[in-house]
Amino acid sequence: MLKKILFSLTLTSAAFLVLRCAEESNPKFDAESFTHIYDDEEFNASYLPIDIVQTPDGGYLVLCAQRLDGSNFTSIYILKTDKVGKFVAELKGSAEFLNPVGRFTQVDNNFYFFCMDQATVTYLASVDADLTALTTTPLSQQLTYPAVSAFNATDGFILESFNSEARESVISTISTTGTVTKSKGYGIGVGDDVDEPIINHFIRTGRKLPFEVGKLPSGQYFFTGFFNYTFSLVFTDITADDPIGTVSGTQDDAGYSAILPLTGNKFATATFSFGDNYFMPNETIPVAGDTMEFGFNLPELVPNAKVKIHRATIDTKNFIVYASDTKTKQIGLFFYDELTGEFLNSRYLGFSNPFEIANLITTTDGGLAVCGTTYLAGRFPRICIFKLSKDEVTSAIK
Amino acid sequence: MKKLYLLLVCAMLVISATAQEKPGGKKRKKPSGAYNKQNNENEKFLNKQWWLGLKGGINLSNTTVLKSYSVISRDESTGTTNKKYEDFKQLGSQISLEASFYISGFSLSFQPTYQHAVFSYANEYEWTGTGTNNLTLTYDQEQKVEHLQLPFIIKYEFGGNTLRPYLQIGGYSAILLNAVKAVTITGVDNASGGTNEFVDGPITVGADDLFAKSHWGLIGGAGVYYNVGNVRLNLDVMYKYGMSNISSTENRYSNDRLTGVGDAMDDLTLDNLAINIGCLFPLRFLENGFKSLDRK
Repeated sequence: MLKKILFSLTLTSAAFLVLRCAEESNPKFDAESFTHIYDDEEFNASYLPIDIVQTPDGGYLVLCAQRLDGSNFTSIYILKTDKVGKFVAELKGSAEFLNPVGRFTQVDNNFYFFCMDQATVTYLASVDADLTALTTTPLSQQLTYPAVSAFNATDGFILESFNSEARESVISTISTTGTVTKSKGYGIGVGDDVDEPIINHFIRTGRKLPFEVGKLPSGQYFFTGFFNYTFSLVFTDITADDPIGTVSGTQDDAGYSAILPLTGNKFATATFSFGDNYFMPNETIPVAGDTMEFGFNLPELVPNAKVKIHRATIDTKNFIVYASDTKTKQIGLFFYDELTGEFLNSRYLGFSNPFEIANLITTTDGGLAVCGTTYLAGRFPRICIFKLSKDEVTSAIK
Repeated sequence: MKKLYLLLVCAMLVISATAQEKPGGKKRKKPSGAYNKQNNENEKFLNKQWWLGLKGGINLSNTTVLKSYSVISRDESTGTTNKKYEDFKQLGSQISLEASFYISGFSLSFQPTYQHAVFSYANEYEWTGTGTNNLTLTYDQEQKVEHLQLPFIIKYEFGGNTLRPYLQIGGYSAILLNAVKAVTITGVDNASGGTNEFVDGPITVGADDLFAKSHWGLIGGAGVYYNVGNVRLNLDVMYKYGMSNISSTENRYSNDRLTGVGDAMDDLTLDNLAINIGCLFPLRFLENGFKSLDRK
């Protein structure tokens, strides 16, 4: 009897251990961390992601530019995925509306961005989370060549655009209905040499310039763009004819490649100078203007690298993530402590095929979604999303 | 459902083993000095015997996809990204230590096994354009996984004295020891003015994190003993039917080198057809002139 009991107990214990150790599918893990590349079997298809947003259902929308046959400009393409990154739907814009620019911004139930028509006139465009239709709204005041936008609850959208006739970098505030509430232009200088890199930026035949726009905690606005012959950081109130202050670069050879206001006059910045790249995670810049300062040199980045700066918090720890393109054709993530500017960690995403950063966001589960371009088979530009779990990000900042 | 299977197997094992004890049978007192007696004592030890031995052999693997995953996503209305698995194609190997307790035709056997299994799959992608613009890439992914398997098996022997066939059923738990993945990319490029066939790789990476630390399964099979004196030679065929996922659900995308080439492991179970040869030695009543398997 004792043997029988012992035998039964042994088998039961073995069964318990086996069942306890079994790996089971877990949808939670599927959503927490994934890598996806969105392919198209069309040989000549080209997708150039710009920005990513998370939808209320946990999925993602990716705003992209798509090359058009017979046009210098790109059309609109938006990809929808579910929360585990699986392809759900796509919206392909027509040749009527071109040059989509971020940020891709959720306001209420819609997602907004700016684009232009074939005459380069700017429109406010929007879609819903299901990509039911693309809605375009003309602005109350004509603006051309939209470059970059930001959003805040007070002003609505802040748009930087380029007026090729007046040769001005223009900054405007715009409501969600397309009403331009404030607008001011600042001269870029005379001569074809000045606007050539700007036009090349828009038709993507040259370098993509790192236009940035936003509002400071103190109420002033800023943008990076051409002013007085140089790619500059300009502070303005969008009222006075002259900027409040500027930090000048060196024509299009040096300037800010990314800037993120923190508190007061503190900024996290990235700069480029004749191909070199620098990060400065805790820089003080007076709005009255200053000379440009450089920070940590990042020799692993490609010359004049595209840089995105993202501010995030995990468990009361504020940190800053720089995302950029490395010479190894990966997306490099560089984590800094927001308070001290101390470097915390780095992580490199992608392998084998080239990868380039588009943008990154914090997701509702506390992780990061990094969107970029990869060149499948080394040649086909396609959208990629890296989703990092909260645990992965937490381990990166410890 | 799988848990139910396991519980059923356990129940069968318990019933099979305990059914050998005679109802109402009393506990037999072990006589002192029994090992030196013949005749009557032979009967006793022939009904109960411990066996210890080694066996080894080859195996072929088969996978069953529970849920498919892919790094490269396509609009499913225009293309598919499903993997194509090669079943029972690549040879693996295994070696086992076998400890069995025989009682009246049945054996309860514990067979800790080192198993090296190989399975592979391929992803194929094609990009087509106008004219001869065409590129085909095939990513061949080979997995080599090593497990320590802990099988519990019930065997039923029948037949003659020298050749004794048996049937066996059981279950096993497996612990991951090591895993390696190798990716080889082959392609045909018709887009450069001619046809260019190329091979890249293989990219070989350690992949322990991509596999589950443990899994379990059921075992069925048959074999035959060839009794030579006190030794049993053994030919054994075993089918191991994986019941739980062998992939890590948490680390599926954790290897940047593999996700960079578009690879993500599916959730899958691993079946294994194993053929072994081995020999067993009795642990009781070993002495000169005595044949542990003699039958009257």
